[in-house]
Amino acid sequence: MNVIEVKGLTKDYGRGRGIFGVSFSVGRGETLGFLGPNGAGKTTTLRHLMGFLHPDSGEARILGMDCFRQAAEIQKHLGYLPGEIAFPDGMRGEEFLRFQAGMKGRKDLGRAKELSERFELDLTGRISKMSKGTKQKLGIVCAFLQDPELLLLDEPTSGLDPLMQNRFVELLLEERARGKTILLSSHVFEETERTCGRAAILRKGRLAAVEDMERLRASRSKTFCISFAREEEAARFAGTFPEAVPRGTEVELPLSGSADRLVKALAGYEVRDLSTRSQTLEELFLSYYGEEAAK
Amino acid sequence: MSGTLLKRELKINGKLLALFLAVLTLYGGMITSMFDPKLGESLKAMADSMPDLFSAFGMNQSGATLTEFLSNYLYGFLLVVFPMVFLILLANRLLTRYLDRGSIAFLLATPNRRSKLALTQAFVMVLLLFCLTLYMTGLLLGLSAALFPGELDCGAFLLLNAGLFGLYLFLSGLCFCTACLWSEPRLATGVGAGACIAFVLLQMLSRVGEKFEWLKYATPLTLFDPQGLIGGEPSAVWSFLLLYTGGLALYGVGIAVFCRRDIPA
Repeated sequence: MNVIEVKGLTKDYGRGRGIFGVSFSVGRGETLGFLGPNGAGKTTTLRHLMGFLHPDSGEARILGMDCFRQAAEIQKHLGYLPGEIAFPDGMRGEEFLRFQAGMKGRKDLGRAKELSERFELDLTGRISKMSKGTKQKLGIVCAFLQDPELLLLDEPTSGLDPLMQNRFVELLLEERARGKTILLSSHVFEETERTCGRAAILRKGRLAAVEDMERLRASRSKTFCISFAREEEAARFAGTFPEAVPRGTEVELPLSGSADRLVKALAGYEVRDLSTRSQTLEELFLSYYGEEAAK
Repeated sequence: MSGTLLKRELKINGKLLALFLAVLTLYGGMITSMFDPKLGESLKAMADSMPDLFSAFGMNQSGATLTEFLSNYLYGFLLVVFPMVFLILLANRLLTRYLDRGSIAFLLATPNRRSKLALTQAFVMVLLLFCLTLYMTGLLLGLSAALFPGELDCGAFLLLNAGLFGLYLFLSGLCFCTACLWSEPRLATGVGAGACIAFVLLQMLSRVGEKFEWLKYATPLTLFDPQGLIGGEPSAVWSFLLLYTGGLALYGVGIAVFCRRDIPA
């Protein structure tokens, strides 16, 4: 049985905003990346799963239960990280976690202490005085508090520095290995790349695709920026790659799939610098489906 | 009800209650100590010189007995308006803040039914208002016994306070209900608080002259009738029972709406 089952979910906020006929499912133990630019409807979909909103039509089910009517029952198995975190007033970190543990019917702080140490989170301070990243860490610890079997995480790494983002990815991989089902929303492909088996791409409130992460990765192209020591070297190199765009001593080269060919070709040149620029989600979508599908 | 939530709300909002009780103690103490059967004459003379102003604040009785004096100078205005500010703030802190900022998500993301959460908040509101009523009743009874032993008609005075609590129940039910209906403070607090303020102004207007007396039918504050209650009039008792019924109904509607509505948190 699928843990999450969404069928034809529609919520129309007018003027093209909302979600329209969104259908997807997440199997037990699966990690699904929920990708889309800002305003695509990721958070709205998650709010339906949380039972905050009534769908205009369609249905959302978790563990076979209706997400609105049986929200309280579903919450026993679920950990949630809101996309825009707002904590209740006037609490300190540990006080908040104790409050949340109490609300979730637990006496102990469970995994909270262990995770706080892992994210180097100081729980003694007032939440109102915490930085954005610290608040994000507190939200993450809270989502994992009761060690739930299902996790709904709305842009979990926003506000975290690269080191903490890495620790978060490690945590997700561990949870995945422990058989947890995870739905992770993000507006950057790279964030879901390492953790998710499949990705659902949302555009303008509609589900554009649900694809294997491997296939998406393979079809994704990167643009390499290569800086050569001399202009004639750059020109000579550009001559061997028809898609390359030379600019003085620099060459821009869009490349999809394996970088093997490029690395081998570069061995014969004096390379001053090599950097890459990744595709945006929109570019990825365009390259995957072509201009037609994007309209 | 959720014990964890109840504990937290009582802890934070109890401080607010203490603040209001301190102010009310000051006023209550001052006014009670001002009672003087002989002074009644001079106060009456003052009231006669500007009858409209005195009656606008519900102070149109001579206040010959201590019971009349207290019902006149405390229960006509002060003990209505101060607790009204308290219950408006309370509805804002118990619901609107959570809904407006989105921190309600942390309450909803727990295995508690919405009805349980709303009922807890409603209970906190009623409990704190009950504590306020109980404290003021006790304080005034104590002060009266200490300063003017035997002067207070305790039975009538208790009935008066029971009626006042009915008024609190009704007004807080209204503010609770509007806070459940909307997330935006402009509407959630605005409509509830606006209605409360309008009720007070209408009552003041209706008391000034015969020309505006009909306005008393436009404000539920009329249903709390201090003079009628200490006089033991059955109609005064019936109207405060109406306040209790209306208040509980408003709480009920608020909870029902909260359970069914979309909460974009």
